[in-house]
Amino acid sequence: MGKKSWLVLLLIALPLLSGALVSVLAQGFFQPVPVLVFKIDVGMVAFVAGLIITLFLLSFYAGGLLIERRSQRMLERSLKEAELGRRRFLRRLDHEIKNPLTGLRAALVNVQEARGVDERQRASNNASRAVARLSRLLADLRKLSDLEERSLENLPVDVPELLQDMVDAARSIPAYGDREVNLLISRVPSPFPTVRGDRDLLGVVMYNLVENALKFTSENESVEVRALEDGRTIVVEVADSGVGIPAEDLSNIFEELYRGSNARGVDGSGLGLALVRRIVALHGGEIDVRSQQEEPRGTVFSVRLPVSKR
Amino acid sequence: MSRQRMTLLLADDDHTIVDSLAPFLERAGFKVLVVSNGAAALEKVQSHHPDLIVLDVLMPRMDGRETLRRLRHANVWTPTILLTQVGEASERALALEEGADDYLNKPFDPHELLARVRAVLRRARPGERSLSAAWLLTAEDLVLDRRARRASLKGKSLELTPKALSVLEYLMTHPDEVVSRERLLNAVWGWEYPAGTRTVDTRMAELRRALDDDPASPYYIETVSGEGYRFLPSVHGEG
Repeated sequence: MGKKSWLVLLLIALPLLSGALVSVLAQGFFQPVPVLVFKIDVGMVAFVAGLIITLFLLSFYAGGLLIERRSQRMLERSLKEAELGRRRFLRRLDHEIKNPLTGLRAALVNVQEARGVDERQRASNNASRAVARLSRLLADLRKLSDLEERSLENLPVDVPELLQDMVDAARSIPAYGDREVNLLISRVPSPFPTVRGDRDLLGVVMYNLVENALKFTSENESVEVRALEDGRTIVVEVADSGVGIPAEDLSNIFEELYRGSNARGVDGSGLGLALVRRIVALHGGEIDVRSQQEEPRGTVFSVRLPVSKR
Repeated sequence: MSRQRMTLLLADDDHTIVDSLAPFLERAGFKVLVVSNGAAALEKVQSHHPDLIVLDVLMPRMDGRETLRRLRHANVWTPTILLTQVGEASERALALEEGADDYLNKPFDPHELLARVRAVLRRARPGERSLSAAWLLTAEDLVLDRRARRASLKGKSLELTPKALSVLEYLMTHPDEVVSRERLLNAVWGWEYPAGTRTVDTRMAELRRALDDDPASPYYIETVSGEGYRFLPSVHGEG
């Protein structure tokens, strides 16, 4: 125990010591004072008062100590969690880089040792694909860090128009060209309210969710995007009747570079949903997911954003 | 370009990059000089007078930014492309402030660098200060004050979002040049957006509304089908 703590304890004990001193000195000086039917001894009153004040101060001090210890423990725990998170992130990053890099090295060997034009062409196509994958990872990593530093636009955003644009954009990917995406927007009785924010970033949210839904469904399954509002909140749901997400993955899918058992081997940087969550949070919104793998199977992501005040 | 080989000065401290870029640019018909830091770049500019400089930002001894500042301070207006490392908005704004003619975020496709080199050379007027280093740009009735971040048409101030203003700025500093949507995204947004081309089109629509420019018969901004956009009137730079 430090010098300071001893001093504090001495100060706490001071009322008790003074009370005791007064009770000793009061003997012989003061006669007990009659109050109603009782006779009160002044010395005893001083002693009891000192005792009560000391007990009060002591409990206050002990409570403060306890709170301090608890917050210390909480801080240590969150530091430990952050450290664990950092290590997990590095491990996943290592994994995400390792695969395309291995592919790239193999492709370069093939370029050097290719016997014909076709073989060389195939090898260089593979190298380009690996480079594209690494570039996408890097670009998404940069977006995540850029989000913390850039200033967000704060302008009214027309959600139905944005959704239409992003659905069209996702469907313009050649692989999804012939796929249907149902877009349902409530328009009665009044026009859909706007949200305030950064249209481009909100576009990333909607696009990533729609692209994900298309990625994890096949041609005969459906994807639906719906927007509702209750005057205070706008809810955008992106739903699909695809394979669904295993229950054990659901709580982790918004983590950076987390890949659920369904998503291994699927194209993507592993940062799409982490970006989505961060952008939604920056707009004061929330995102949830519900999914089931048994019939009726499918996944629904719902984004809630506050309606902009007029 | 075929009559006379133009000289490029490539300044980057990463040997793998210059070792691959230099032969690539040589194959494209340029004479390429290579240095690995800013101080050496300054010396080479004085001794060899290159037609264009490609400067990396992060270099030992003297970084690309400081090198460019010194060149411009000494009234050397050799067209320069800055290779930036970080995609932050501040970095991009700075690149313009220091009088770079164009800039490219790493990692980039070498073909993209070649396209920029050619575009900058086409635009360059030897010895003259480039539009990218001018603070006030005027094209007919349209005036863009880059320092105040304000544009006006026939003396009336235009209400533009910061993104639309930056798009206008990029187009006005690259007049009569077809600028692809991808290039605008890279330069103005710094991000590659998944639905990027639509993102650009939305801002372009805003810009055209503000300029009262009819896309069918444009006066300021022309859509070049399948390629991008072109700023039509000639631009005069001041300051």
